[in-house]
Amino acid sequence: MTAGGAPAPQVEVVPLGRVNSTAAQVVAANLQALLELDAMVVEPWPEPAQALVAARGQYDAGIIMQELATPQGGPLRLGLMGKDLCVPFLTYVLGESQLGGRAAVMSLHRLSEGEGGSRAPRHVMLERAAKVGLHEIAHVLGLEHCRTAGCLMRFSAGLTTLDRLHMGFCPACQRDLTRLRMDLPARAPAR
Amino acid sequence: MSTPLQVLVVDDELAMRESIAAWLIQDGQQAAKAEGGREALAMMEQREFDLALVDIKMPGMDGIELLRRIKEGHPDTLVIIITAYGSIESAVEAMKAGASDYLLKPFDPEHLMLLLEKMGRQRRLMQENQMLRQRLAEGQMAGFEDMVGGSQDMLKVFDQIEEVAATDAPVLIVGETGTGKELVARAIHNRSARSFGPFVAINCGAQSESLLESELFGHERGAFTGAVKARRGRLEMADGGTLFLDEVGEISQKMQVSLLRVLEDGSFLRVGGGQPLTSDFRLICATHRNLPELISAGEFRQDFYYRTNVFSVTVPPLRQRREDVIPLAEHFIAVFAQETGKVPPELEDKARRALISYSWPGNVRELRNIMERAVIVSKSGFIGLEQLTFLDEGPKPGSTALSLAEMETEHIRRVLQAHGWNITQAAATLGIDRTTLGRKIKKAGLRSP
Repeated sequence: MTAGGAPAPQVEVVPLGRVNSTAAQVVAANLQALLELDAMVVEPWPEPAQALVAARGQYDAGIIMQELATPQGGPLRLGLMGKDLCVPFLTYVLGESQLGGRAAVMSLHRLSEGEGGSRAPRHVMLERAAKVGLHEIAHVLGLEHCRTAGCLMRFSAGLTTLDRLHMGFCPACQRDLTRLRMDLPARAPAR
Repeated sequence: MSTPLQVLVVDDELAMRESIAAWLIQDGQQAAKAEGGREALAMMEQREFDLALVDIKMPGMDGIELLRRIKEGHPDTLVIIITAYGSIESAVEAMKAGASDYLLKPFDPEHLMLLLEKMGRQRRLMQENQMLRQRLAEGQMAGFEDMVGGSQDMLKVFDQIEEVAATDAPVLIVGETGTGKELVARAIHNRSARSFGPFVAINCGAQSESLLESELFGHERGAFTGAVKARRGRLEMADGGTLFLDEVGEISQKMQVSLLRVLEDGSFLRVGGGQPLTSDFRLICATHRNLPELISAGEFRQDFYYRTNVFSVTVPPLRQRREDVIPLAEHFIAVFAQETGKVPPELEDKARRALISYSWPGNVRELRNIMERAVIVSKSGFIGLEQLTFLDEGPKPGSTALSLAEMETEHIRRVLQAHGWNITQAAATLGIDRTTLGRKIKKAGLRSP
C-alpha cells in the first residue's frame, strides 16, 4: 500500500513473508533503471500459506499470482519470496508471471547457490535477483521468451544459464518493451 | 525468432493443462488445450499440430490409446507422453507405440526446454523432407539416390541406372569433371544385387603408376621400400561388391593389361606376392576423357575399352541442363542449412539469374561448393549476388601481390584446369613428370573442381 493519498507506482515489489530487503530494493531499482518503470518496495505481505504445496515443500506460484494481481488500472505487482516456488508441472521455478497480465512472483531461494554446493557471493545473488525480476516483469508487460543469446528474455531454467545472460535486453526485445511501456499509465492513480 | 511450435496439451487435470499451456505461450509457442482423447482427436481434425503433450493417465481414452490414434491419423504430429514417477513401464510402452519422448511429472525445467528445442529441430527436418517430397511429386525436381535433376537428360540417366543396376555387367560412366559420375556409380551399386557388399572407389588419376598398382592389387611385406607390412588392395576389398575406377582414362597401358587379366580370369597377385588371389567384384569405370580418341592416339587399349564399356552412361554437363540449376542450388541450400543449423536462406532473383546463366566449368561440384559458401556467409536469410563466388570470375583485385610459391600454385591450378585435370597432359605442359606434379598438387592442397 502506498502511504496516504500518494499515487501508486507502476510496479509494486511485494515482499511475501521474511525476505532479504536489500534484494527487494535491488530488484525495484533495476526495474526502474532498465525498464524505466516507476517501481517501489511496499510493506511486506504475510507468507501465502494457502499456496503451500505440503507434499513438495514448495509454494504454488500460480496461486500466489492470483492473490497479487490487481484490477486493471492498478499497479503491476511482483511478489518476492524467500521460499522455493513451483508450478504443478515443473519441479521448481525461479520466477513466474502472467503474460500480459497484472502480477509476477519470484523466489530468492535458489539464487544463493554457488558451485559444488557452496554459497554464491552476495553480489552474484543480487544480480540474479535483478535478472529474474526484470525477466518476469517484462513478461507481465507482454514480452515472450527470446532466442537471442544473452538476452534477458531468454529462458533460463537454472542458475548456469541465468548467469550467462547479460543485464539487458536484445535490440528486438528492447524495441518491443518501448512499445509495450507506452500502453502503461504513467503513474497509476491512488487506490 | 524461429516459427512457433503448434502444441496441443492433453490432460484431464485443469491446473496442469492450463499451466503447461500458459508456459508454452510465454515461451513463444502456440498452445491449445484438450481435456481428453476424444476432444484432442476432434481438434486435430480441425487443424494441424506439430506436437502433442499427452498425459498417460486419463479417464476414458488413456494416453497410450490416444498416442496410437494420433500416429494412425496424424503420423507427422510428434507426441510426448507425460507420466508420473514410478510408471516407467508405461513410458517404455509409449516409446514403443511411437512417442517421440516422455516427461516425468513434475518436469525438470531444463529438460523441458531441451525437449522443446529437440522437437523444434525434428519438426524442421520433417518439414524440409515434406517440402522435398512435394517438389518431387510436383515434378519440379526429380531425385534419384543422392542425385537431383528433372531435366530430360537426367531422367534418361536415371533410367539407364535402373537398367544397368539389374545386371552385373561392367559399366563405363562418361562425363565432365564434377558432373557426379561417382554418384551414378554409387546409385548403380545401391540398386544392384551387390548393394549389401562394399563399394570401393579409387581415383586413378591422382596417383603414380606404382602407387596405383599397390593400391589396386595390394602388396606383401617387403615388396618395396616402405612396405613394412602386407596390405590388402582395393580389388580384394571390393570382393562381393563394386569396384569403381574413377578417371580410368589416366591409367597406363601396363596397368590396363593387368586389370584386363583380372577381369578375364578373376585372379591376381599382390605386389611382391606369389599366391594367386581371387575377388568377385563388379567393375564400374568413369572418365571425363574421350576414350575412342585416346584409342586412336594409341594411348588407351581397345581391348580394355571394350571389356569395361559393356554398358555406357553419359552424365550431361550442368550447362546442358540449366533447368536443374535452381532445384540443385535449393537442394544444396537445404542440406548445408541443416548442417549449420540455419534457416535455409532464400535465393534472390539476381542470384537465380546469375546461377542459371553461368557456364559451370566445374559442374555440379562447383555449384555445391558455391552454395555451401553462400549458406555460410549468408546473414540476412537471403542469398544475393554478393554471396556467390564463381570459379570463372577472372583475377580479383590484389591477386598480383602473390609470393613465388603462390604464383607456382596458381599456375599449376590454371594448367590443370586448362587440361580438365588430366595429370599427364598438365605435367607435359608444365615440363615436369607426373609424380612431381602429383607431389606439388598434394603439397598445395589442390583438388579437382
